[in-house]
Amino acid sequence: MGISRVFVANRGEIALRVIRACRDLGIETVVAVSEADRESSPAREADRAVCIGPPQAINSYLKVETIIAAALGSGADAIHPGYGFLAEQPDLVDACEEHNLIFIGPRADHIRTMGDKLLAREMVASLGIPVIPGSAMVATGDEAQEAAERLGFPVLLKAAAGGGGKGIKTVTAAADLSDVFDEASCEARAAFGDDRIFIERYIPNARHIEVQIMGDSRGTVVHFFERDCSIQRRYQKMLEEAPSPAVNEGLRKEICDAAVRIARHIGYENAGTVEFVFDQKECRFYFLEMNTRIQVEHPITEMITGVDLVKEQIGIASGNPLSVAQDDITMSGHAIECRINAESPHRAFHPSPGRIDRWKPPEGEGIRIDSHCYPGYVVSPYYDSLLAKLVTWGTDRSDAIKKMHHALEHFIVSGIDTTVPFHQYILHNREYLKGDIHTRWIEDTLLREYGQ
Amino acid sequence: MEAITQDDVFLILKLIEESKYDELHLEIGDLKLDVKKQGRGPSVADTQSFAEESAVPSPPVVFPADAAERDLSDSAKAGMDENDLIPIKASMLGTFYRAPKPGAPPFVKVGQDITADDTVCIVEVMKLFNTVKAGVNGRIARICAEDGEMVEYQQTLFLVEGADDLDEKKRKSA
Repeated sequence: MGISRVFVANRGEIALRVIRACRDLGIETVVAVSEADRESSPAREADRAVCIGPPQAINSYLKVETIIAAALGSGADAIHPGYGFLAEQPDLVDACEEHNLIFIGPRADHIRTMGDKLLAREMVASLGIPVIPGSAMVATGDEAQEAAERLGFPVLLKAAAGGGGKGIKTVTAAADLSDVFDEASCEARAAFGDDRIFIERYIPNARHIEVQIMGDSRGTVVHFFERDCSIQRRYQKMLEEAPSPAVNEGLRKEICDAAVRIARHIGYENAGTVEFVFDQKECRFYFLEMNTRIQVEHPITEMITGVDLVKEQIGIASGNPLSVAQDDITMSGHAIECRINAESPHRAFHPSPGRIDRWKPPEGEGIRIDSHCYPGYVVSPYYDSLLAKLVTWGTDRSDAIKKMHHALEHFIVSGIDTTVPFHQYILHNREYLKGDIHTRWIEDTLLREYGQ
Repeated sequence: MEAITQDDVFLILKLIEESKYDELHLEIGDLKLDVKKQGRGPSVADTQSFAEESAVPSPPVVFPADAAERDLSDSAKAGMDENDLIPIKASMLGTFYRAPKPGAPPFVKVGQDITADDTVCIVEVMKLFNTVKAGVNGRIARICAEDGEMVEYQQTLFLVEGADDLDEKKRKSA
């Protein structure tokens, strides 16, 4: 069941990441490009680029039938979905199976189970792993009121079909609940075609800690330790690090074991991430959700473990066992990733598309750049604003931070606004340096000081 | 670049013979080599004679992605100015079919007069058959895609000599 030609159904830096991994493995690549991406770096680096449609993703990167037709028509035997777009679309996995294409990712039923946040919660709770105190589905404003009062305000209203920080609303007072409930179910129906809502207790002073896992077709599941993604703005991650400065050996073992148990329980195959909320006051962790894809921030895990996760994905999809056993996976040093986005930090992170005049990312020992940009590249308004993932590795956290300071200072980019200055601002903050932060720290504290 | 020897060619042929691939497309500098197993394209004898020359004329291209290249070589042969022709492009990625069903005569042939409403081909995506209208009055000058092969979004399928140009030509010759 070897793979000889991979169809890359994505764009930007992750398409490039997959293309390069394939090239190292001696596998040919065909990349899907929209009309806006014909001249992109992935289009140039792949063995072939196939134009699948107009710039709007809904008519190109999100069309299952077109992706399948393009993969078959270009003689590919496997599809790598990257992250975003169709990465967690079980219909694509079903269509791959129907047409004898290998999907480089998990099984369709696992994507469905974990994509349904209510189902996933139930399953995880049944294993005796703590989930955030919350309700089952609430169908009416009255049911919501009852559940919220039982849990105690503030609460979060979450869409069952949401995830990845989408479809979440905070309610601090009982009086607002019924209005917010109506709004939330309307929005969930519009965004996900599914208006089921459930309620969770809001945990203040929490960190977002996630565990990278991987399973192969022999039933082996391993973890690659944790990542701390607590530096977020509106539930969107900005800066991640591994390992977490807030996790000690005992806690690390506990959450990594929990993540492996969840994956092993369902016989999970390929790369996945189990996300937890860590209550710093109570020193307790709760299952949040599981993402059934390779994640944006996977490089920091690669930097501390030395394992190429994308190559492992391809190996597993080819039917090979994991190339590493749990005992061989060790962590060394500390890694930090800054997401460099085309956004204006001084204008409330407004998107800043346009032509990049100068582009010279930093170089040096312990610096890794995952990026599809080049001088003259036009950042299109059609897609997300990620320009580059700037990753540094150091012998310890302060060494990694020191390298990141240096790297950000030498990141030359002009023509568009980027989040480089904001990352510099974070890295100078005393609370960040102490590791004394939580998931709302950017919005509650840092942005106020920044003058937003 | 060192010239490819006959031994090299035999080695290449042996490799493809033993591989699971049906065709090989090789480009080294000016040299282009296309080999197909099922007797389409250049035969073994053709390939051998290629090896004895240093520069080889490009044989039929293998991948439909090279349609633009093929258009150029065709138009050079026909002595027509590419710029005067109007393209009919694919409005979606899919499989290009010249006829309504296998064995049936094609919708259009080179030299045939068409009106904007005429169906010129079908582009199929996952069993969904989309008929493509000419969208222009004129005469089919060239067919730019291979029947049964994948065409990309906005790939040129046909080149049409516009009705206005045809009228002008008539006037000139009269």
